[in-house]
Amino acid sequence: MTRIHDSIKDDASAKMKARDVSVYYGSKKAIDEVSIDISPDYVTAFIGPSGCGKSTYLRCFNRMNDTIPVARVTGSIELEGENILDDTMDVVQLRARVGMVFQKPNPFPKSIYENIAYGPKIHGLAEKKADLDAIVEKSLTRAGLWDEVKDRLDDSGTALSGGQQQRLCIARAIAVDPEVILMDEPASALDPIATAKIEELIDELSGRYAIVIVTHSMQQAARVSQRTAFFHLGKMVEYGPTSDIFTNPIEERTKDYITGRYG
Amino acid sequence: MNNAAAIETTRPTRTPEFEKRLKKRYARERSFKLMGQGAILFSVAVLVFLLGNMLYNGIGGFQRAELEVPIDFPESGLTGDEVSLSAPSAVQVLEMQGMAEVVHFYAEEALSSEGAEQISDQAWRDVAAALTADPSLIESAEPVIFHLPASSDLASGLAGEGSPEMQALAADLKAKGKLAENWDWGFLSRSDATSPQAVGIWGALKGSIFTMLVTLALAFPVGMLAALYLEEYAPKNRWTDLIEVSINNLAAVPSIIFGLLGLAVFLWIFPNLRSAPLIGGMTLALMTMPVIVISGRNAIKTVPPSIRDGALAVGASPVQVVFHHVLPLALPGMLTGTIIGMARALGETAPLLLIGMRAFVATPPADLTSPTTVLPVQIFLWSDEIDRGFVERTSAAIVVLLLFLLVMNSVAIYLRNKFEKTW
Repeated sequence: MTRIHDSIKDDASAKMKARDVSVYYGSKKAIDEVSIDISPDYVTAFIGPSGCGKSTYLRCFNRMNDTIPVARVTGSIELEGENILDDTMDVVQLRARVGMVFQKPNPFPKSIYENIAYGPKIHGLAEKKADLDAIVEKSLTRAGLWDEVKDRLDDSGTALSGGQQQRLCIARAIAVDPEVILMDEPASALDPIATAKIEELIDELSGRYAIVIVTHSMQQAARVSQRTAFFHLGKMVEYGPTSDIFTNPIEERTKDYITGRYG
Repeated sequence: MNNAAAIETTRPTRTPEFEKRLKKRYARERSFKLMGQGAILFSVAVLVFLLGNMLYNGIGGFQRAELEVPIDFPESGLTGDEVSLSAPSAVQVLEMQGMAEVVHFYAEEALSSEGAEQISDQAWRDVAAALTADPSLIESAEPVIFHLPASSDLASGLAGEGSPEMQALAADLKAKGKLAENWDWGFLSRSDATSPQAVGIWGALKGSIFTMLVTLALAFPVGMLAALYLEEYAPKNRWTDLIEVSINNLAAVPSIIFGLLGLAVFLWIFPNLRSAPLIGGMTLALMTMPVIVISGRNAIKTVPPSIRDGALAVGASPVQVVFHHVLPLALPGMLTGTIIGMARALGETAPLLLIGMRAFVATPPADLTSPTTVLPVQIFLWSDEIDRGFVERTSAAIVVLLLFLLVMNSVAIYLRNKFEKTW
């Protein structure tokens, strides 16, 4: 089972508590009873070799696995005491509260303004155009994109550079002011400069939002996260403060992975 | 050094055999390119020949032999004023006043009795129509000059065909300037008739427009919703597989089968609507729908899943994902399928023959339930006529059909380009 570092205690500030979550694709068990807490107090990083299930696990937190017909999730994930895996959970509301940023930037083929305004619009968060304008400006500012695009809000979101597109997607996610933001390898398709900007942004957003980031770059996990969970073959092998995981791993497999023996 | 150079020449990509093979590959590429260009050239040539031939023959179809007849209304004894000539019964009143004889009298005066015989008995209706359109003509001090359609015998005489007497008469009248081939704009506003001199295409064109509207109104929304449901909502199981196979088969069913279906089902439910655009449109919609469903599903499949994920992740409901994101991106592709389906439906003859749209209908349809024919059926009917005058009219009808097709496709392409977005 998972080796949890002693310094990790049951956390009162936890926004989401996942308990014994397993994911099955048909009869194949992709995630085996993984438990973790997520809090705005720290950024959590999921690391591990390709195919270890870290993205699958991440997608449980906003039930994106619902879109895969053969996927089945067991266990419980509580968001403020409410089990989101219950059938009674309103998925639309859940996804407004738990935002997501994907590996490949996926802005809508609409204007920059429309990209940000879409979420607030469908949830009815802005009554007047001025309110919507304010939300768009605030979100773009928080995502560090406002100065770059304020003069061309009507341009297509897909006309931006890759890094800008990804920050646009982050701005789109925070436009509905979610409590949690899930990031699935948000910088893996970007160059080092754009990656640095995204990492900086994650740092700034942490505190206001509970952030979980999946990454296969260990340096990135070390830079942006305060907690790290190491996944291997569908199991969470080790979980602890990022500094401990990287300097003082308990499990042999963790040590092998972070020293580059495999992965 | 020498040794190294020797190794280089023995590498498989440096041997003369390799060079030979390379040359062969290039030769193959060149010949393939030539064959492709040849194929394009051949299809363009065929198209140009077809269109050129149609246009060349069709131009004659937009003209007709007309005889010049001046009529002096104040002298004719016909009476009427602005009010009576604008009344709905004006044509009957003129008929009772002996308008037919009046026209015949002036025709004899202008053309001699042999010439006057070659004016159709119904020619006075053209004069009456001109009078009701412009009642002031009846008080005209100058004789009003009318160009009345010649009989089809005289028309073929003018074209250098038919009996020697008729050819002589035509030559004589032509020399006097009384007989000429004139542009016949009435071809576009009249409907079917028994004489090629009196036919028009408007009835069939209007019938085609009505039928296409019904087809589009039924096939596009139903096909689109079916495609969206099958792609976005339907579970993937044996039933949906069966539905998919059925739709694919339906798209390959010969069109005449759909005509039989229309005959057996639609005309059984609505027995009074034989030959109506409504039934024709419904039958063609059945035929067009599978094409729209298949192309629609392909268009939906090309929408990247990342867009769907992005929309779902900000909390869009499945319906919102479909209507805000998938549909706008898939619409251009769906429109392409619709163009293909509609173009096929427009040119379809066989199924419409079965539901009675091959009747002789001399008036344009007033609404979706009145009997009519459509352009391809009209072409089919005219091509079957014995009278030589119908040959050119048939070509002219084909030109009208092609122009209609062109307009329809242009609108669809315009719409498609308008909705087209890049991502």
